[in-house]
Amino acid sequence: MRLLLVEDDTMIGESVLDLLRADGYAVDWVRDGDTADNALLAGSYDLVLLDLGLPCKDGIDVLRGLRARRDRTPVLIATARDSVQQRIEGLDAGADDYVLKPYDLDELLARIRALLRRASGRAEPVYEHMGVSIDPATREVTVGGQPVVLSAREWAVLEPLLARPGLVLSRTQLEEKLYSWRDEVSSNAVEVYIHGLRKKLGAELIRNVRGVGYMVPKT
Amino acid sequence: MSSIPSHSLRARLLWLLLASIVVVAAAQFLIAYRTALSEADDIFDYHMQQMAMALRAGQPILSSGGTAERRGAAEGGDFLIQIWTTDGIRVFDSIESEQLPQLAVLGFSNVKARGKTYRVLSVQTASQTIQVAQDEAARREIAGRLALRTAAPIAFMAPLLMLLVFWVVSRSLLPVARVRHQVAKRQASDLSPVSEAGLPDEIRPLVLELNLLFKRVQAAFEAQQHFVADAAHELRSPLAALKLQVQGLQRASGDCARELAITRLSSGIDRATRLVEQLLVLARQEASLAAGMKPTLVSLAAICRLALEDMIAVAQERSIDLGLNHADEISIEGYPEALRILIRNLLDNAVKFSPQGGRIDLAVRAQDGVVELTVDDSGPGIPIEHRERVLDRFYRVNGSQTAGSGLGLAIVKAIAERHGAELTLDDSASLGGLRVIVRFPPSTPV
Repeated sequence: MRLLLVEDDTMIGESVLDLLRADGYAVDWVRDGDTADNALLAGSYDLVLLDLGLPCKDGIDVLRGLRARRDRTPVLIATARDSVQQRIEGLDAGADDYVLKPYDLDELLARIRALLRRASGRAEPVYEHMGVSIDPATREVTVGGQPVVLSAREWAVLEPLLARPGLVLSRTQLEEKLYSWRDEVSSNAVEVYIHGLRKKLGAELIRNVRGVGYMVPKT
Repeated sequence: MSSIPSHSLRARLLWLLLASIVVVAAAQFLIAYRTALSEADDIFDYHMQQMAMALRAGQPILSSGGTAERRGAAEGGDFLIQIWTTDGIRVFDSIESEQLPQLAVLGFSNVKARGKTYRVLSVQTASQTIQVAQDEAARREIAGRLALRTAAPIAFMAPLLMLLVFWVVSRSLLPVARVRHQVAKRQASDLSPVSEAGLPDEIRPLVLELNLLFKRVQAAFEAQQHFVADAAHELRSPLAALKLQVQGLQRASGDCARELAITRLSSGIDRATRLVEQLLVLARQEASLAAGMKPTLVSLAAICRLALEDMIAVAQERSIDLGLNHADEISIEGYPEALRILIRNLLDNAVKFSPQGGRIDLAVRAQDGVVELTVDDSGPGIPIEHRERVLDRFYRVNGSQTAGSGLGLAIVKAIAERHGAELTLDDSASLGGLRVIVRFPPSTPV
């Protein structure tokens, strides 16, 4: 899944970036409100991690702009603004969750998973699809009772497909889930990972839609 | 007079006023009494004279053995009339039981007879001596009663007046009591103004000044609260970074990753420490401003040299040419430690924002008693629109990537204010970057 990290503090930003990437997310990091606006307009993200005290444009205004465009990307505010009034303001402006600094990283990851879960239209944390059982929290996949080990990149391709069964994701879109814009993308990386996934989980799970992309069929 | 209460205005007023009333009333009473007595005396004497004249005029009627009515005894205040012929023969006396010796003295005199004192008037005619007498004691008694009736109203008036004075004084001092009561029942944190409605002109200025003082204290209190809230807020990010950096270290696998994590954590701790230190410095400066320590005579040039020593290593790390350009040897009144912090903070900023190989000039110039301290750098300067806000606490110019606490210039401003100095930001004509000018007022000669 692809996340946008909006944070102006260097030390916080670099730590969160590394930790999120270590958890398998593709993360783009921007450091002020205007750049955040542009990034949100240009790309599609699965979740935005939004700091409020930003140079150029305040995080609240970025959020308001986002919602005014009817963009439904989940937004998790992580900020030092801690008064009740400020929290109410953030949530009413359209945020899906509000976390105060300093926060625990594991808790942050769990909250991110919760928001992604809801965005997929799912409520149950562990779910099954076509005989494959998936636990996003632990990244454990079980096929017919047998645990299967996936690489982080394989997971990064599988998760967005499973999040929206029936939705076709193009190769480019899947590449975006794999890499932030700084990374180099090898041209057939996605095919390689799809191939690996089919081998481990069965060929029917991921269907190829000719000329468009890949999808996981609805049951 | 130590017996007059000195602490209570009301008590003192009442004591003095009531005592005055008593004294004056007593004096008035006595004077009225004595005057009335004296008046009565004169009236009695006058009556005696009239009687004597009347007797003299009607004298042929009275001859020896006259049939004038004689009374048995004298009633108090009655006149005793006796008439003698020139030969000394008593021709008439009004009251038989009381007889007085004939007197040789004419006119008014006092005579003692039969255990009493008499006021006697003797008048001589061609053939007779007429004597009119009155019992002194009786006379005094009547006079006394008269005088008492005259003076008595004063005795009634005085207590009434005292009551009135008591009431007026108490009423007049009520506003003071009200103010006292208002202030007494306040909570410790209540600094709202005291009502000055209905206060006399003597008290109102005091209450006005008190209210102004409340306002100043309130402002200082609020400023301190803001400071604490700001500080708590600003500490959140450094602490969040530390927490994340520790968690990064926990997850670090491999020596390389661990090294990186430890380096980051170390920087994070340095940053948090710096912020806390700056906060403490700022708090101390603001507290000292309130406490009012005494300044000493210091050489600004000497402090510049000390501050330069503090900063030279950091400057050299970035190959920045840092130097004291111009130093007039001038002494000003100030706080040496605070001034060192001020100069160090300015140099710190200059070093942070100057490019590698840049230049920073420090200068002290004295002219007409005004001492100017300037710091020029070859950095990017500060755009005019930011210059005022940049002196606020925690304000960082947008987009600046430097790891500052945001407090450096706020501290400089606090210290400048403490010295009554003027702080100005300008473009540096000599080096192209920022010029900071601190202008100290002329010292008052010791």
